[in-house]
Parts: sequence; structure tokens; C-alpha cells
Amino acid sequence: MRKIGVIYSGHESHYRTFHEPKFNQFITKLIYHPDFLETDLNDLDVLIVPSQLNYKLLLASVEKIYAFAENGGIIVAFGPQPWNWMPAQHWEERPTNFWWWLDKDASSGLVLQNPAHPLFNGYLSLVDCTWHQHGVFWPPAHADILISTEDGGAVLYIDAHSTTGKWIITTLDPDFHFGSYFMPATERFFEGFFPYLAYGAI
Amino acid sequence: MSIPFTMLKLDPGHAFGVNGRMQRDTGNEAKIIDQYDFPQVNLDEVDVLFIPNFVDQEWLYLQRKKIAAFLANKKIVVYCGHLFREWLPGCSPFLPQHIRNFKDYEVFPTEQSVIFEGVLTEDMTFKKGVAGFFARGYHHAPANAEILLTFADGKPITYIDRCSTNGTILVHAGRELLGYTGENKSTDRIRPQFLAWLDSEVQALKEDNHQ
Repeated sequence: MRKIGVIYSGHESHYRTFHEPKFNQFITKLIYHPDFLETDLNDLDVLIVPSQLNYKLLLASVEKIYAFAENGGIIVAFGPQPWNWMPAQHWEERPTNFWWWLDKDASSGLVLQNPAHPLFNGYLSLVDCTWHQHGVFWPPAHADILISTEDGGAVLYIDAHSTTGKWIITTLDPDFHFGSYFMPATERFFEGFFPYLAYGAI
Repeated sequence: MSIPFTMLKLDPGHAFGVNGRMQRDTGNEAKIIDQYDFPQVNLDEVDVLFIPNFVDQEWLYLQRKKIAAFLANKKIVVYCGHLFREWLPGCSPFLPQHIRNFKDYEVFPTEQSVIFEGVLTEDMTFKKGVAGFFARGYHHAPANAEILLTFADGKPITYIDRCSTNGTILVHAGRELLGYTGENKSTDRIRPQFLAWLDSEVQALKEDNHQ
């Protein structure tokens, strides 16, 4: 099992999400964000950088996050990213349609771009990734886009080339939604995603 | 809108705060500081401390003596969120409401609620036809608390506690109350009625101080 570390903001949604026993059992180290720079990451294989972190602490953490990636580590980043800190980051903020399922001819607008990927074989389905998005990424050409919007914006992609390690980057923010008791699909997302991070082919 | 009292708001510095997504506080009533600057700030001239969700509660727990001293000095603390650390006097940990169907998300103002007066249950419960944005749980209210808003089963979403400390604590198990504005429905009443309530509460505490 890969050893997973999570940066913990101390806010209510991350408290619930990362202390929930069925998810917490996959977490080797829950790193309180103000202590991040003093924390040893050498025993970790994966570092989760959740959404909605304090931007001052996040930007101060970037150098250490890159060092972890250059050391072969896997970085996971969730949610909207209004601050540029990830490799070749190109974030496009979009209005959130959180009521799409009430529309006539309802469509979430999400497309599975790479159904053969190991993440979608035994771990997650598109339905498990479907609630809403706050925007899209336009990743570098070498990235592997796994989920996109209908116009090709990346909702979940893997960048295995910008650094020695790999980056799993998604606009989805299940860490916020599960932790704030909103959007039940986010629970199914983590039930698939944590086992994938621990055991799946990345 | 100018206000005749001083309000300090802690900024969690999170992504949703950048453009006010989810809940926009359009006003400039409050002086805003980064949450991690709280230990350095002088609260002598501050009447109201406003603490939104997304705040780092591990951090607030470390600051609990400063918060308690502020309240002991007959001041007001407003907290909007889901409490999980004991940093706010009298406030118990948040519990999620049991949701069997969307009716369980319905919220109801009590008769004594000046902040939610004239605000319709339907307008609070639904946003674009989706229920659950407004509140999804509650804190057990302390004895003698004034309940302002409840679920159908009476669980308190919003309460005022004037008994646990010398000051006044308002707890709202939801998004920040300053953000309810500009939606062209009765929830637009919340922001001005909340500010008016703060004004009267500040004055009442000050008058009480001089007696």
C-alpha cells in the first residue's frame, strides 16, 4: 500500500473528510498546514493537496511540494485553483451549474476520455465523479486527460512529464463537499479514489 | 453601508473567498484580517468578531483564551459554520441533520427572530430548485439560548447565547450571514436585518456596561 499524506487546513470540511474512518485508514500522515514546512515527507509516496487551502500557506508550501514531486512522489490536487502554482497551470474559472440534473435533457457535461485507464477499472465510474465543477484546466500537451467537459476542458488529468513524479490534478472538490455534508457522490468518489491511490496503477 | 460599530472578520484565505463564490459578502463593513494574524490584533476597539466557515478551527482552539477574554469584555462573537473544536464558549460540536428527503432541509424562523423576520422558508431552503445550501445540521443550543431558526424537528440552526459569557454569541450552522444579498428574494432581508441586530446588540452591551 502506498503511503499517503494529506495537507490538513483545519477547517470544518477537511476535518470531517480526512477524519472519516473509512478514508482515514488510507492516510499515513495528516499534516496540519501550518506545520507543513517542518514535516518530513520522506516516508510518503503520495501527497494530497486539497482544495480551499489558505493561499499564503499554500504558496509558501509550493517549493516543498515540487521537491516531493521531483523526488518521484505523486501529487494529488483537488478543486478550483485561482493561484498559479502547479506545472504549466492554466485554470479557467466557470460558472457552476449545481442544478444541471433538474434541467430538461439533463447532462452533467462530463466525458470519460480514457475509459481504459486503471482508475476507471475497478475503482471509479463517471457517475462517481459527477456532481458539478467550478471550472476547467487546459493542461500541457503531454498530459493524459481522463475526464473532460464536452468542449475538451480537463476536469481530471495526469501529468507524468513536468516533474520526475506524477501529478493527478482535478477541478473536482470532493474534499470540500463530503466534509460539508453536501453532494453524496463525493463519498463514492473517495471510496474509489483512496484505494486507487493506495493500490492502483498510476 | 456604514455601521456605527467596529467589526473584525477573520479571512480563511481559501479559494472560494477569492471571488466570493458560494457566498459573497459585498459589503465593506468589516475590517478583514488573515486568520493567522489574529494573535497580533488589538481587540480593544472591536465590538464584533465575525468568524466564517472555512476558518482554521485548530488555530482558533489555540486562540480560545483571547476569544473568551473578548467575550468577557462584553463583546460579540458571530460564528457561521460547523464547530468541531471547543474554541467558542457554550457551543457544542456540530451534528448533521438526518436527511430522508428534501423536506428535511426546510428551515423555519422562530417568532422571536428579528434577523430572519419576513424571510420565507422556501427562499432559504431552495436555490435554483436545489435544497440544502442553507443549512445541513445544527449545534445543541446552551440552556436559555434564544433560538432564531430551526429545522422542522426543532433542531436549532441559529441561536443567540447571552448566558455563557458576559458578551453575546451568535452561532449559525451555515454559510456566513453577511452574504445573503442581491438574490431578489426574501433572503435579501437577512444581511440588513443581521447588521441592524448587531447594532442594537452592541448598543445594549455598551449601555449595560455603564450601569
